[in-house]
Amino acid sequence: MSHTKLYAWIYVVLFVFATIQVAVEYAGLLEGGTYWIAFGAIMVLSAIKAVLVAGYYQHLRWEPASVTYLVLGALLVVVALVGAASFSIL
Amino acid sequence: MSGHLPPKSSVKRWLQTTNHKDIGVLYLVTALFFLVFGGVLALLMRLQLWTPGPTLFGGLAYNQAVTAHGLLMVFWFISPFGFGFANYFVPLQIGAKDLSFPRLNALSYWLYLFSGLLFGVSFFQGSTFAGGWTMYAPLNVPTFFPNEALGATTAVLALLLFVTSITVSSVNFLTSMYRERAEDLRMRDIPLFSLSINLTVWMMLFAFAALLAALVILTSDHLLGTTYFNFQVTDSGSILSGTGNEGASMLWSHLFWFFGHPEVYIVFFPALGIMAEVFQTFTGRRIVGRKWFILAMVLVALQSFVVWMHHMFLTGINLETKTVFMATTIGISLPFDLMVFALIYTMIKGKVRFKTPFLFALGALILFIIGGITGVFLGAVVLDYQFRGTYWVVAHFHYVMVGGATAMFGGLYYWYPKITGKMYNETLGKLHFAGYFVGFNLLYFPMFIAWETPRRVFDYSAGMTIWHQMATVGGFLLAASFLVMFYNLFKSYFHGEEAGDQPWKYVSSAEWAVSSPPPLDNFPGLPSYASGKLSFKDPKDVEGAHAGHGGATAADGGAAAEASATAEAETSTGTPSKIRAVTARATGGVPATAHEHESDHADHASYWPLMIAFGGFLTLLGFAGYQGGELLGLPSHLIALLQGGSVPKLPYLLLTVVGATTTMGSLVGMTRESFAAPEDAISERWPFENVEKMKLGMWTFLASDIVLFGAFIGSYLFTRVANGWQDWHHMIPEAHVSLPGLINTYLLLTSSFAVVLAMVAARRESKRGVVAALFVTFTLGIGFLVNKGLEWAHLFNLHEGAFAGGWEFSTNIASSTFYLTTGLHAAHVIIGLIVCAWLFARTMGGAYMGDEKPIEYFGLYWHLVDIVWLFLFPLFYIL
Repeated sequence: MSHTKLYAWIYVVLFVFATIQVAVEYAGLLEGGTYWIAFGAIMVLSAIKAVLVAGYYQHLRWEPASVTYLVLGALLVVVALVGAASFSIL
Repeated sequence: MSGHLPPKSSVKRWLQTTNHKDIGVLYLVTALFFLVFGGVLALLMRLQLWTPGPTLFGGLAYNQAVTAHGLLMVFWFISPFGFGFANYFVPLQIGAKDLSFPRLNALSYWLYLFSGLLFGVSFFQGSTFAGGWTMYAPLNVPTFFPNEALGATTAVLALLLFVTSITVSSVNFLTSMYRERAEDLRMRDIPLFSLSINLTVWMMLFAFAALLAALVILTSDHLLGTTYFNFQVTDSGSILSGTGNEGASMLWSHLFWFFGHPEVYIVFFPALGIMAEVFQTFTGRRIVGRKWFILAMVLVALQSFVVWMHHMFLTGINLETKTVFMATTIGISLPFDLMVFALIYTMIKGKVRFKTPFLFALGALILFIIGGITGVFLGAVVLDYQFRGTYWVVAHFHYVMVGGATAMFGGLYYWYPKITGKMYNETLGKLHFAGYFVGFNLLYFPMFIAWETPRRVFDYSAGMTIWHQMATVGGFLLAASFLVMFYNLFKSYFHGEEAGDQPWKYVSSAEWAVSSPPPLDNFPGLPSYASGKLSFKDPKDVEGAHAGHGGATAADGGAAAEASATAEAETSTGTPSKIRAVTARATGGVPATAHEHESDHADHASYWPLMIAFGGFLTLLGFAGYQGGELLGLPSHLIALLQGGSVPKLPYLLLTVVGATTTMGSLVGMTRESFAAPEDAISERWPFENVEKMKLGMWTFLASDIVLFGAFIGSYLFTRVANGWQDWHHMIPEAHVSLPGLINTYLLLTSSFAVVLAMVAARRESKRGVVAALFVTFTLGIGFLVNKGLEWAHLFNLHEGAFAGGWEFSTNIASSTFYLTTGLHAAHVIIGLIVCAWLFARTMGGAYMGDEKPIEYFGLYWHLVDIVWLFLFPLFYIL
């Protein structure tokens, strides 16, 4: 498969995932007891979309691993800040 | 505007130079100016503290002096002083001609200078920031400042400009250190000063991004009227905590200290690097346990991001968190123990020469040991309950921070001969040290004894007067010692003895292999460590070899100059100890101590960095005039101005317009300027061998941007957790639906796909393809902004139920987080669109055919903006 086709398929997946996220809301899954399951599903979809964009559109997949580590380092910093700060007030 | 440099005697040179050594000198001189600025404020405070109670100052004036002293010393003196040395010596030590992006380096400096000037201006606007250097909420919002908080807002904006300078600088240094090292110079083998700077810059890249987020939010609270850090205040002026904005003060503390604790090491690491260099030179001994010393530094750099909550033991964080952070805090002292013992053992193993640089480095070690031990007290939760907010803290962190500055003054004496070519007066240097060390301890040690004095208050128990008077005498002695230093350095510059290329025995880094001062392009050839020692290769031979061998590393043929290898140094025990001395000696056609010559290719001059920073200074000065949402009226004021109508706050509007125009025009000028900063044909580039410098620079910037956005999103998550995750919904109107967000998601995803197609088309040399794809990208981006504008206008003008007055920036914390976070994202989209328009125009002129790199770099940015939206959309629209 050529890269252009691959990029196009990824675009389709991104488009569909975004639609599913809103469909989850419209299906009423964010009401009542299913909120946190729906929350998890929506955030996982966002994470998959982000990985697809970073991996293919930003072509991290074809870059040296050190660039990916740079990005992961930044993400780790964010997780440390947000995770610990939020936990500190629970 | 680019080209060759005038001589150093010309003022023009210093306004347009982009050479790293010139920039280093500018940093050093400017930092010393801010040392005097902050130092005079400290002396005024010490005079006030001669006796308890108000004598010299009123309360507000004292608070301003305390705050400004802290901010100036931490931000505008210590760190930039270290980066003066870093600018000058890191490229020399790693074998580079300059930093990767010389004009960005100049821009960093000018942003730094103008940020400091902006801070200075705030003193003349009624009152500068007076809430302490930690700027705790809610005392950092306009409600608590006089004169409509004009000066306080200017001070916040000055910090914002300063952090911009730091971000630019961090990207530049990291790119340079991973792209410009001499052949075969491994990261682990670079001199310890450069290694300490490398780790410092990594910490800066991430820590300052968190501070940038905090400052942007604070600026928004000042200018746009968001309510992140606001508590509700009653008509009588009392604060109602916990009303509608849970966690406001804690949010600031988290963001600030997430930056603030790494900042301690950001300040101290350059000093540590200098200590290591000076100890090695003046003991004639390689540092003991070098590998472990490096490992300890790496550990501290990592651990620095998991200790910040020990500054928050007295806040409402839970006990589990306090316990964990007490453990991590004790843990971070361990690698420091190793480094301290390595330095001590180096002295024992070597033969010490008590020259002025060594005295300062040794003094710094002693002061740091005291500062470190007293800091461990504060890391223990129970002790911190007692010590927090007292002079124990003041004494402790001055022993650490000024202790670090002590090593840097040692560095000033150490490298002064290299920078100026002249030797300072040794007797006066030692006199400076004696006055400095006695004055320092007389100033700060009594504070441990008078520890019960409340911090940032000029009143104290009368029984502690004697200790405060001792401290005041010490402060003036410390200040007087600097008069000796300034006289010494000034006099020596004009009348000092010629220092020669190597004024010190047993030096071990590459800056000593060139003349004093070094030539403009640093080295007489291409530095290489391929033979195991420093040598210089002829660029023509290297290029020839590359051409002949398909890019393989050149052989050592034709090298003209060679650095000598190993010198025998007598240690104190009489045992010969090997130390690499880079005594350059010419063996061929190119002299090792080359006279100043300029490369045929590299440019060193541009006025645009100065102009960009000056424009930024004017813009922010203008912004400061707007409070509590007035800035949102700027476009309508601008239209009124163009129509000749009455305009409120006209001077501020004019400053903003002139400043923004200057910055934008200068950015365009810089982009159009022909400026060459070529990389050497051979360099050691692990671990980024196959990542070209522009791409590495872009990725490094994006890493910082990830933390910026992460801190913004984190602020939203934190306040939402504080308010109760699902209780949040009552602050959001029914009209705030997911459809506009979904449409914008489609638009951005499609625009990202279009950028990818533009890159593919450029690779295929299809001009029509690139033009079409960029046009689509631009149009979709505009569509995104229009859709957002319509959505915002709708929400602003709601008339429903609880939001009959509209859902605006200041309505509640939910509206504040929504508008500001998505607004920051929109600002990124606007910047992206400007770049996209530029690419489009250049494509129309025939650019990028077969060279898709610029489009790729733009794409990296645009896709990150896309990724951020992929999280903003569910968080702000669905959940």
